[in-house]
Amino acid sequence: MGLTQNIVFGLVTGSYIAIAAIGFTLIYGIVNMINFAYGEYITIGAFIGILAAGALPVPLPVAVLVAMIGGGVVSLALAKGFFTPINDTGPIPMLLTSIGLGLALRNVIRLLAGRNARYFETSTTTFRFEGLPALSVGPVDLLGNVFVTSEHLIVIGCAVVVFVVLHALLTRTDVGIAMRAMGDDESLARVRGINTQRIRDSVWVLAGVLAGLAGVLIAIQTNASASTGYAHILQILAAAILGGAGSPYGAIAGSYVIGIVLALSTAFLPSGMTELSSAVAFVILVGVLLVKPSGIAGQEVREA
Amino acid sequence: MDGLRYIGHCETSSAVMPRNDTGRVNRRTFIKTAGAGGVVGLAGCVSFGGDDSESTTTTESGGNGGDGDDGATTTTESAPEQIVFGQPGALTGAWDFLQPGVSQAADAAVKHVNDAGGPLGAELVLKRRDTGVDPTEARTVTTQLVENDDAAAIIGLFSSEINPLWDYLQELQTPVVTNWPGSTFLDTHGGDKGTPGDVSDDEWVWRSIVGDTVHTSGNAAYAMEQGFENIGVINGNTEGERSYAEGFLAAFENQGGSVANRVEIPLGESSYQSALSRLFQEDFDAFLVSLPQESAITLLSDWSDGGYGGTPILSDTLAQQAVIDQVGSDLHGAWAAVPGRSGPSYDFFESTYQNHGDADINGWTPPTWDAVIVTALAIERAGEASPEAIQQNLGPVSREGGTTVTSFEEGKEALANGEEINYQGAATPTNFTAHGNVFGSVSIMTAQDGAFSQTAEVSAETVREYVPEGEY
Repeated sequence: MGLTQNIVFGLVTGSYIAIAAIGFTLIYGIVNMINFAYGEYITIGAFIGILAAGALPVPLPVAVLVAMIGGGVVSLALAKGFFTPINDTGPIPMLLTSIGLGLALRNVIRLLAGRNARYFETSTTTFRFEGLPALSVGPVDLLGNVFVTSEHLIVIGCAVVVFVVLHALLTRTDVGIAMRAMGDDESLARVRGINTQRIRDSVWVLAGVLAGLAGVLIAIQTNASASTGYAHILQILAAAILGGAGSPYGAIAGSYVIGIVLALSTAFLPSGMTELSSAVAFVILVGVLLVKPSGIAGQEVREA
Repeated sequence: MDGLRYIGHCETSSAVMPRNDTGRVNRRTFIKTAGAGGVVGLAGCVSFGGDDSESTTTTESGGNGGDGDDGATTTTESAPEQIVFGQPGALTGAWDFLQPGVSQAADAAVKHVNDAGGPLGAELVLKRRDTGVDPTEARTVTTQLVENDDAAAIIGLFSSEINPLWDYLQELQTPVVTNWPGSTFLDTHGGDKGTPGDVSDDEWVWRSIVGDTVHTSGNAAYAMEQGFENIGVINGNTEGERSYAEGFLAAFENQGGSVANRVEIPLGESSYQSALSRLFQEDFDAFLVSLPQESAITLLSDWSDGGYGGTPILSDTLAQQAVIDQVGSDLHGAWAAVPGRSGPSYDFFESTYQNHGDADINGWTPPTWDAVIVTALAIERAGEASPEAIQQNLGPVSREGGTTVTSFEEGKEALANGEEINYQGAATPTNFTAHGNVFGSVSIMTAQDGAFSQTAEVSAETVREYVPEGEY
């Protein structure tokens, strides 16, 4: 298989990461904290989706909506319980709190959900595009046969919908414009009459909704277990930082860079080094930050 | 803590004394004498643990012990009230789905031992702690079991825990009798080196399950028999997965097979399509998959979606219903080679096990039973429950020669009659090699009609053709 096929795989991986990274980076940009418990938000979303699809039971699209709503509610509740009371203590106490909260949530989920991984019942259709002409550069075939599955299309489609809605939210609604204003300068936003606490709450809800969606999509592709979100938090963090911490557009770009690098390094690293694909993604992260510390978006919204 | 360690040395020294040393000084006498002498410096030797022996009387047993080389230290010792075995478990982590069967087997074995009167008449107690199959946690847990819980032996530990902790486990000088590891590293590491009376050359790890070398050899032999002489390999980048793949490849290539392509991957990824596309750049008819269950399901689902073709040859841990349920009918014809259930006492184990709970039996379940029983028998033969005495007697109670016994009850009775014993286990005959390994047949479990079922058996004799005596 060729380069095109691996780029498709990279786009799929990048889409998972992007949906979650947007929520992660919004929290960073507006609430001014690195939320290491965000992986557990994804896990909670995955389990809400599993519960909805299995226990209620409802069709998968409805289960996705339930997971998104549930994720938003849980995110807001956790924020009210653990983060809002320490809003003014600065980013470091909030970071440490999020690490502790993540650890506690992971173990609570493990206790409640048990040790077995849970799976969505899905069926997949594969679409093949064969007979494309070979276009070789050295050992690499730029085209080659390509396939995509219905799962791939759903993941990429969901990501595109999220991007469009997010763009509309940030540019066409009062809440979104207020979010951007807070991201730039919270004090000035407050002086201009923006209810900053309400905006923070909105961000928590939005981040939870996105975590719920990402959780269900990851669980459809893999499974739901206590470590579902935790296993991806480093990639999400890397994508957010690579894009320019605090910038949702940068997070999208960073996610696809990470996803495509993961796919291409697995495909083209020398034999015996394929296991290092994750490391390659982080090497690129370090390289980009050395050259451009503000990340791809070119702006770091917060100084935390 | 130093004082407790010193007491340990006192026990140790008594254990290695020749059996006919009727002048042996028991510990209480020693302490009394020391106390009467006002040797204040030895006060630290006093232990307040519950396992202090009241008195020790050495008696001769039948057989030819006493030459200091067969580890025969059969004694009649007024026993402690409790003897503790520590079980580091996979209560969480990648292998936690196997733990219910393993826990139930250990609990059933302990109950069987206690129902038969217990080792030395003491109550056998199992302390179980979670390691999450993490080497750092395993070190902490093992230390807690030995130092805090006074475990006389450790029942458990995975390859990925044993190998990095190897030096530590040797320093710990507590026998580890484990049902888990397949690592080829243990092929020539562990056991008493055939000299049970001499612990100086011992390595303190024994495994009651056949190693990867055995069932990978069986798997490779079966693959060749099926006409798959050119294969692909995809394996995880952890010790256990790598070890399985390398064991398989060594046997496969030794039998004339060739490897078209091999890809090593990290665990827990959300997609393995890129890795599969790389693997299938080369042509082959079958491919080996060595991964933990959850990653394997993701990979095999991707394989099914991508229509890559080929027949999966699965590592031993993947013969699970969940794998078929999630991957679907494309898995039809895939097979896994698992340790055979060929032990002479399997039926007795199975009936006892099923009376103890409803956890499914997996490939690691019968070896857990064997690990507990053989260790309890070692204590019974030794006449004491010190780690060194257990280490010295694991070989003699399991190796050929002596009365064949298939349960703790039979073994206890035979030892009481002064006979040497040869424990015949549930998973294998449990004849420990010099390196502390066991050998047995290999079962081929094939996915068909929505379930794994046994379709073939590779005999121990056939497997032995590919595994030289001295190398395992």
